[in-house]
This record gives sequence, C-alpha cells and structure tokens, in this order.
Amino acid sequence: MTAPPPILVVEDNDEDFETLRLAFANAGVKHPLFRTCDGEEALGYLAQQGRFAPEGAAPRPGIILLDLNLAGMDGRRTLERLKADARFKSIPVFILSTSDNPKDVNACYQHGASGYLLKPVDLERFERMVACFKGFWLEFVILPEQPREAVLP
Amino acid sequence: MKTEAARVGQWADLTDCDKEPIHIPGAVQPHGVLLVLREPALVIAQASENAERLLGAPAPSLLGTDFGALLSGAQAAEELRARLSRERLQDENPLKLSLHVGGRERVFNGIAHRHKGKLLLELEPSSEERQVPAFGFYHQARGSMSRLRDAPDLSGLCWAAVREVRRITGFDRVLIYRFDAEWNGAVLAEDRDEAKAAPYLGLCFPASDIPAQARALYLANGLRIIPNVDYTPARILSLPDDAAGGPLDLSFSVLRSVSPVHLEYLRNMGAQASMSISLVKDGQLWGLISCSHLSGPLYVPYGARTACEFIAEFMSSLIPTKEGQQDYGQRLRIQAVQARLLERMTRGPDFVAGLTQGPQELLELTGATGAAVHFNGQTTIVGAAPEDAQVQALMRWLAERQEQEVFVTDCLSRDFPEAEAFKEEAAGLIAASMSRGRNNWVLWFRPEVVQTVNWGGDPTKPVEQTDGGPRLHPRKSFALWRETVRGKSLSWKDYEVEAAAGLRKAIIDLVLQRSEELLKLNTELERSNVELDSFAYAASHDLKEPLRGIHNYTALALREAGSLLPEGTKDRLETVVRLTQRMERLINSLLHYSQVGRTELSLRETDLNELLGQVLESLKSRLDEAQVEIRVPRPLPSARCDRVRMSEVFANLVTNAVKYNDKEKKWVEIGYTAGPDGRAVFYVRDNGIGISPEFHEDIFRIFKRLHGRDKFGGGTGTGLTIIKRIIERHSGRVWLESTPGVGTTFFFTLDDTRANGGAEA
Repeated sequence: MTAPPPILVVEDNDEDFETLRLAFANAGVKHPLFRTCDGEEALGYLAQQGRFAPEGAAPRPGIILLDLNLAGMDGRRTLERLKADARFKSIPVFILSTSDNPKDVNACYQHGASGYLLKPVDLERFERMVACFKGFWLEFVILPEQPREAVLP
Repeated sequence: MKTEAARVGQWADLTDCDKEPIHIPGAVQPHGVLLVLREPALVIAQASENAERLLGAPAPSLLGTDFGALLSGAQAAEELRARLSRERLQDENPLKLSLHVGGRERVFNGIAHRHKGKLLLELEPSSEERQVPAFGFYHQARGSMSRLRDAPDLSGLCWAAVREVRRITGFDRVLIYRFDAEWNGAVLAEDRDEAKAAPYLGLCFPASDIPAQARALYLANGLRIIPNVDYTPARILSLPDDAAGGPLDLSFSVLRSVSPVHLEYLRNMGAQASMSISLVKDGQLWGLISCSHLSGPLYVPYGARTACEFIAEFMSSLIPTKEGQQDYGQRLRIQAVQARLLERMTRGPDFVAGLTQGPQELLELTGATGAAVHFNGQTTIVGAAPEDAQVQALMRWLAERQEQEVFVTDCLSRDFPEAEAFKEEAAGLIAASMSRGRNNWVLWFRPEVVQTVNWGGDPTKPVEQTDGGPRLHPRKSFALWRETVRGKSLSWKDYEVEAAAGLRKAIIDLVLQRSEELLKLNTELERSNVELDSFAYAASHDLKEPLRGIHNYTALALREAGSLLPEGTKDRLETVVRLTQRMERLINSLLHYSQVGRTELSLRETDLNELLGQVLESLKSRLDEAQVEIRVPRPLPSARCDRVRMSEVFANLVTNAVKYNDKEKKWVEIGYTAGPDGRAVFYVRDNGIGISPEFHEDIFRIFKRLHGRDKFGGGTGTGLTIIKRIIERHSGRVWLESTPGVGTTFFFTLDDTRANGGAEA
C-alpha cells in the first residue's frame, strides 16, 4: 500500500490550524499535513519554487484545504489561479470558511472547488465534520494519480 | 382767400371733450401775429386777421406779398432769409425784427418754426417787453440751477422750482402739479401772493381737467401761455392753395388759441392769465408747473418764458435723482432688513422658518402689517392676515392669473371682489410667486385705510350743464371738496415693491442651491449606507476568527485538563465557551441585518396564503410543542414582495407571538384590514404578555431585549430590527398596539398592496 498523499492546508490563523491539526490527529488521519500561510506561498509550494524548491520540501498534495479569508492574495484568487493552471487543476480543493454568504459559496464552486465547509464556533461540531470528511474523502474517494513525469526525471 | 372755420364760440360737448382737435383751432391769441411764409421768397401765404392792429396792414392785403417788404433796412430781408435757412431754426429765436408799421418802426420778437413742411413765423411786439439786461438770462438761470440742484429731495426741488418761476414771471400763483397713475393731479408745491390767490397746496385735480389730447400736446410742446383769458381769437386767413391743405397745425405755435372750455375753466378759477410748463420723466408727462394770474392779464415776455422753460427742463432732469433721495433713509433701512433676512434664511436648514422667525423683519421689508409664506403646501402666517381659507382662495386666484412674478395692488377688491370680505387685513397686496408652477408664494398684506382726498372741486362733476342748453361748462367751484376713499390700503412705495422682488430672487436662488445640496447629500447618504453595510459584513467575519480561537482553545483546555481543574474554574471556562457561542449568534444576526440592507429584493406577485402556510409548516414542531391555536380569519390578499424576506417577517412575528406568551390557551391570529387609504394593513395578534407602551419604539432597536437573555427562550434582539428593515425596504411601515398582560398586535403595510387584493399597477 502506497503512503497516503499529503494534505496542503492554506491557513493564516494559527489557532484554526492548530485546532484542525488536533482534530485530524484525533480522527486518526495518517496523511501528512503541510501548511502555507497565504495564497502566494501556496502557489509557490505547488510549483516547488523558492523555499519549496529542495527535494521533499513540498510534496505534491492529494487534497488542498483552502481558507477563504487570507491576508494578501485571498482564497478566491488563489483558487482561481491554481484551477487555471493545468498542472494543479486536478487536485480537489476544499474551502474552509467563516462565511456562509451564498455569493462566496457560489463563486467557489464556480471556480472548481470540490466542497465548501464552514468553520463553526463549536468544537464538537467541527470534530464531527472532520471525522466525516476523513471517512469519505480520505478513505473512500480515489484521488487523482500523481503525474509521474513530474516526479521522475 | 378763405377763412378757416374757427371754433370760436362753439362749446365742446362732453363726449367731445377728449376729442376736441385743440391743435387746429384755426385761430391765434391776438397778442401776436401769425404768418405762414412760403420759401424761399418768403411770400405770406397765411396770416392772422389781427395783422392790421399790430402790423398796420389788413391781413387780406398781406396775403401773397413778400414779407421782406415789411422789414426796414436794405439788408434785413437777406439777413432774415439766411437765418431762416439755418439748420437749427429754434436756436435763432427770438429773431429781432424791425418792421414799418404805420409809418414808424416797431420792434418785434419773431419766433419761427417749421412744422409739416410749413414755415410759421409768430411776431410778438417787443416794445411791451420789460427790458432785461443781456446777461440777465444767464444770471437768472445760473442762480435757479444751483437752487434746484441743492434741493435735498423731490419736495425741496418742487418748492425751489415754484419760487424761481414766480420770481421770474410775477404770476400770482405758481404751483407744481404731479400726475398719478390715473392722471389725476396733486399739488406738491405752491408759491402765491397770499392776498390774491387762495391756497391750492395738497389739493387733487381730476384727470378730466386735462384731457388726453392736451396731455399729448403738452408732452410735445413744453410751454403754453395765455396772457389774457378774455381775448378775442384772431382767425387765420389763407391763400386758396394753402387753405386746400387743411387747417393749419398749431401744435408748436406759441400763439395757438386754446379751447373755449379751457378758457372758461380758467375764468371759473379766477385766473385772468395763465402759463403752464411740462415736466417730463422717462419720456412721460410727470407733471406741470402751472401759473395763474388773478389780478389782471399778464404777458410774459419771450426771455422770461425761455428761462422758465429752462428751469422746467433742468428740474425734469433732476426728478429721478431727487425721487431716489426722497426715500433714501427708508431704502437704506430696507436693505439692512433684507440682508438680515437673507442671512437667517441661509443659516438654518429650513429657510421658511428663517423667513418667518423674526416676523417683524419680513413685514418691515415692505412695510406690511401681515404676511403669508406658502411653501410646499404649508402656509405660515405672520402678523395680521386673512383667514386660512381666504388666503388659500387668494392664492388659487393668483395662480390662475398668468401675470408678472410680482403682483402689486393697493386695492385688491378691484381685481378680486372676494377681497372685500377681508379688506381689514388685506386691502393692499404684494404677491411674489416663488416658482414656475405658481404654487409657492410670499404674500404681504396691508389693511384698508379710509383715506380722504382733498379735491379742488367735485371731481365727479368736472362739467356742468346750464339750464335748458346743450352747452356744457367746466365746474365753477374749486373749493375744497373732500372725498372718502374706501377699500384701499396705503399705496406701496416703489422701493417696497423692489424689496419684495429682491427677496423673491434671493429665495429662488436659495431653493435651487438647496435642491442641489440635497441631491449631493442623498448620494452621499446612499454611499455611506452601502459602506456601513459592507463594514458590518467585513467586521463580522473578522470578529468571528478570534472568537472561534477562544472557543476552540477553551473547549480543548477543558477537555485536556478539565478533570484537574477545581469545580469553580471549570464552571468559568464553560461559561466562556457558552459566551463565545452567544457572541457568534449576535455576530450572525448583525451579518444578517446588514445583508437585508445590502441584497436586492426580488419583488414578485406572491400568494401570501401559500407563503404563510409554508412558514407555519416550518414552525410546526414549535407550534405543536407550545400548543398554540393559529387563527387566520380570512384569506390574505396577494402582494408584491420578496418571498424569502416576507417569510422571515411572518416567521419572526409568529415565533415572537408564541415565545412571549404565558397563557394556558395560547393563540395567534394573522389577518389584514383596509387602511384609511385603501391599503392593506396586515397584522399578527397574540394573547401574550404584551409590551408596555414605553418600549414601543425601543423594541425595533438592534440588540434591544426587554427580558433577561435566558427568559422566554432567549434571543439576540435583532428579529424586530430585521423585520422593520425588511418592511421598510418594501416601502411599508411597521408598528404595534399592545396591552401588557392581554396581548400584542403587530401591524405592517407593504407599499401599494390594496386591501382588495393585488398591488397597484
């Protein structure tokens, strides 16, 4: 059995990331978590540029969890950019947001998001959500293959 | 040879009085001789029949002869011809002419003028003339000029002029007579021989004293003189050719014989000689300097007449300035009042208030005793004014007249008979229209002032009929005759009318400026509303982030170490968790509220029965649990509204009705009634705990709660605020009636929804 693909979390809020990390751990998620704090960094990670250039510094993620409310390039623009890039458009992106504004929700699905999740002010509810996410997306859903030519010389 | 049909001895009848062709009397006064000379030979074509007495040759014998033959001196005829051919003939007057009369030489003043292609030469014997030194005229004129110029005001000018004219001419009475708008005259100044002449100062003379054609003649020809009212007119004889040309036009003749009616008028007045000189302002006859001599005939020589004419002309040129100075102080005061009014109008947001706050000033502006300011359907009354209904009727009448922007009258009932009823407040009116539609007005009122006019004789009987004769005579009595005038106010001065017009202009400018400001404010308000909502939206999200951190970390801490903590500490941390959740609900409500303001409504014709059914269905479990009876007495009308928002309104009102209810048998009634304007008024009524009247306003304020947050199931206190915003966005209104302990009814309207169903248009 191959190692589970990494999950890239784009999240600028430390507490939110810490809560997410704990919830994933508690839910028994084996996938390694990688984090960038904003959209530009996320694109750098995916392109393996700058500090993400060294071998193994930025393994290609199987799933991206993207916060909408980011400093600098916000989640919507980041989503747009990476979905416009042929190399990354096949990676499922899930939005994690405070906003349930229909405009935000629609825009994200329009730009190719695979799902839109609310970050509640309710730890137990959040944990239930993470557990369900893991049960479906990480255990049943078959994620796209790593494009080998991108990895092999 | 033909004799013109002189009108001597004929009386004009009453209807003829205004039509008598006084410029072609066919005769002259006999103190001089009139000749018409045919150029270039100066052949006498017409001559007055008194030629024999003054020139020593009968008029018929003169006709057709050369005038030059009468002159003494070889060069005289040539010299005269040269002077008569000069461009400005009037400037040559008087022509000093020496004529052979009865074998001796006699000096005449020749006064020549051309009119309608004819050369008229009038000869007045100069021997009768008092000797005036050559420099006399200049000296007299210079002294007179400075006295006129130094007069402080119009009244002073008039007094100076009558004194100068009397001094120069020696008439027993010299007066100045000013015409009013109806051509009645009033005596403004008088200089008289007190032993001989009765005072006329302050008397009025009716317009019929000087008929229209006489006034026209007076405007054209500045001076008339009658040295002896008992003269026998000298008819004008003509060569046949000239007679065929019609009667001789004597408009500019100094010897012109006057109407017999006028002579009788003068005789009735006791005058034996008279002279009048025209005063002209802006091309209109303004008044007359009128001179009369009571103690015998009086011939005023040419030089003195010229000096008087000069005084009248100089005075005419000073009238506009002196009139201005007449009310100089008043004008200054009014300017200050206008400045204060303007300043107050521009200072406050409501300029009508500024106009009427210091009522004294609005009235002072035009010297009114009352005023009405009517703007945007609202009338403000200041001082003494007619009843409201009368003011409204007056404004309707004014609006119908397509007239000037400022209407002025001192006798309103003459144009608007209904005004008779309120003449005690408004016999006089200045009405200034403030808008094109003539809907906005400032009106100034003056009360009736019963006035007494002192007439020089009864003006209603300018002409008297003698017994048994068709002949009409001018009135005989010039004794004071008092008339009482009713229905009139004191007349408005020109500067008062100007002040009204000035205020009108200022108000119109201000209104324009205000409407521009309002437009700008509206745009700004709209923008700031949008910004405020965006702010609330963004702030809510940013606030939620740390809140979630607090919540999660506290919950995690409790989970990881809860069992190690003392009970009190654990309780407090649990409270923190609960508070974070409550805060999230508040933030969500705020967000929702801002969304209701921000998002476009989707207005559709909606079946409210179906909508209410769905709302009740969604609340079913709560309603069942509380065992509430839902009453809908009759089907609701359909309405044009946003379906989602309207569901929210009903859901909120019904939920509140159920929530704040402590009765055993709870009920909620949803229905509608017809409002006074035919619009549907919806209501949601309950038998709940009720709301004390002092809170009826407060409850619509955001986050306002009347009860502890855990009583009646808690809540954020935003429900009614959001309802109010939704209703207002539907151009409706929401309010309530309530009796504490008995129940509450919430009412609301929706734009144009009619009680009989459906929206308008």
